[in-house]
Amino acid sequence: MEPNQKKREELLKRQLEVLNKKLKEKERKIALLRKKRSFEIKEIGKFRQALMNILEDVEEARRKAEEERDLTHAIIANFADALLFFNEKNRLSLINSKAEKFFSVEKEEVVGKSLSELSSNKYFKKILGLVGSEIKSVFRAEVEMKKNFILELTTINIVAEKTKKGALMILHDVSREKLVEAMKTEFVSLAAHQLRTPLSAIKWTLRIILDGDLGEINKEQRSFLEKTYKSNERMISLINDLLNVARIEEGRFLYNPVFANLASIVENVLKSYNEQIERKEINFVFDKPQEPLSSVYVDVEKISLVIQNLIDNAIHYTPPKGNINISLKEKEKTIEFSIKDTGIGIPQDQRERIFSKFFRASNAVRAETEGSGLGLFIAKNIIEAHGGKIWFKSKEGEGSTFYFSLPIKDKRQKKV
Amino acid sequence: MAKKILIIEDEKILLNLLEQKLKQEGYEVLTATDGEKGLEEMKMLKPDLVLLDIVMPRMGGFEVMEEMAKEENLKEIPVIIISNSGQPVEIDKARTLGAKDWLIKTEFDPKEVVEKVRNQLEKQH
Repeated sequence: MEPNQKKREELLKRQLEVLNKKLKEKERKIALLRKKRSFEIKEIGKFRQALMNILEDVEEARRKAEEERDLTHAIIANFADALLFFNEKNRLSLINSKAEKFFSVEKEEVVGKSLSELSSNKYFKKILGLVGSEIKSVFRAEVEMKKNFILELTTINIVAEKTKKGALMILHDVSREKLVEAMKTEFVSLAAHQLRTPLSAIKWTLRIILDGDLGEINKEQRSFLEKTYKSNERMISLINDLLNVARIEEGRFLYNPVFANLASIVENVLKSYNEQIERKEINFVFDKPQEPLSSVYVDVEKISLVIQNLIDNAIHYTPPKGNINISLKEKEKTIEFSIKDTGIGIPQDQRERIFSKFFRASNAVRAETEGSGLGLFIAKNIIEAHGGKIWFKSKEGEGSTFYFSLPIKDKRQKKV
Repeated sequence: MAKKILIIEDEKILLNLLEQKLKQEGYEVLTATDGEKGLEEMKMLKPDLVLLDIVMPRMGGFEVMEEMAKEENLKEIPVIIISNSGQPVEIDKARTLGAKDWLIKTEFDPKEVVEKVRNQLEKQH
């Protein structure tokens, strides 16, 4: 072989080797790229899977939220009470079917409007009257929508971070309760009325016997009969109280106010207590004001009832030889009556209920088993109907002071 | 001559008690259990005073007084009403219709009735 040929062969071989190397290099690179690509494909696959999972979760969450929303809507829609929601601009944003029924409206007619805009509807007008266009909070206020259709209104202001987000209004139908209450009151009224006649007859008969009109009676007979007479008197008193309460509840407890001097009313009432005060040896003082009092505008009979009740309580619950002080003070705008006794007082835990119907404190019941628990209820009603206030201070075992105030209607000119 | 008192009261128990007490005091007592019968007795027997219940069936005390006011020989007879309820509204109405005095069933006692009757009869002279 020619040396040139060998050289050429060598060159070619080397070139071939280089090309081979390059090829192998390229193949290696390709293989790497292929690996990388397959890795990336796998990664993409994983991302895709993860994304699918997220989408699934979101879908699930959305479904759950929708379910909850539907459930809430169903609850609101079928809620036994009427529900209305006013947004932060005091415009109606939600109204359930019960509310649509109560107000005789359709949702579409009213959503988006303010209470003032809605007040062409007489029912909404009544609500506006109670809560105002700013929708203030009320708790169980009664609204008479129409005869025998009475609702109890509660509004709750929804506040977040000191700003009002809206107001929730709930209306509960109490027509049935009111009707039952009225029936009960009527029944009490009727029953009490019927009871008066036989009680009067018993009172009379006993009085006639005790007065000796049917012949002489001995000491033992007298004693028994007097006890019966007293029991009967208590029954009569209870019937009167029950009737008064019934009348108050029915709104038939009428008042005939006149201009009057409270000092004279008190003096008048006191006249019938002299015997009781003596018998129980009570130290009784009426702190009569030196200057004549300004006039109050009151129903004399009813105010006398209140004073009687307070004096009765003071006498009953004060042991013999105790003290009772009555005083009258003229204040800036009111006349204040107070009666202070050194009696059994009122226990701390029962103070809240003293003015409730039929309530008698436990120590009162122990001291004297009779007593209807109606006196203070009636007294509170009367005083408040006159625009006054009634309250007390008390310490168990030491005594109580009861106060009431009545507004002055005719200010006396003070002599300078 | 004994004074005649007519008691118009539908509850027999109370009617008898009042009758007994007044008879004891020396009065002549006439009775009626309803307004109509009471008016008839009034026209026939001309009592000196009438004790009149308010709430009665058929014709009540107010109607009786209204009828009495229409008749010449009845309107002069003094009336004391007997009220069951003692409500000021009732008593005021009775006074406007001409009642001279009033009694409240659950509050008065026989002595008080006699006193009021005696006072009224004395006033008539």
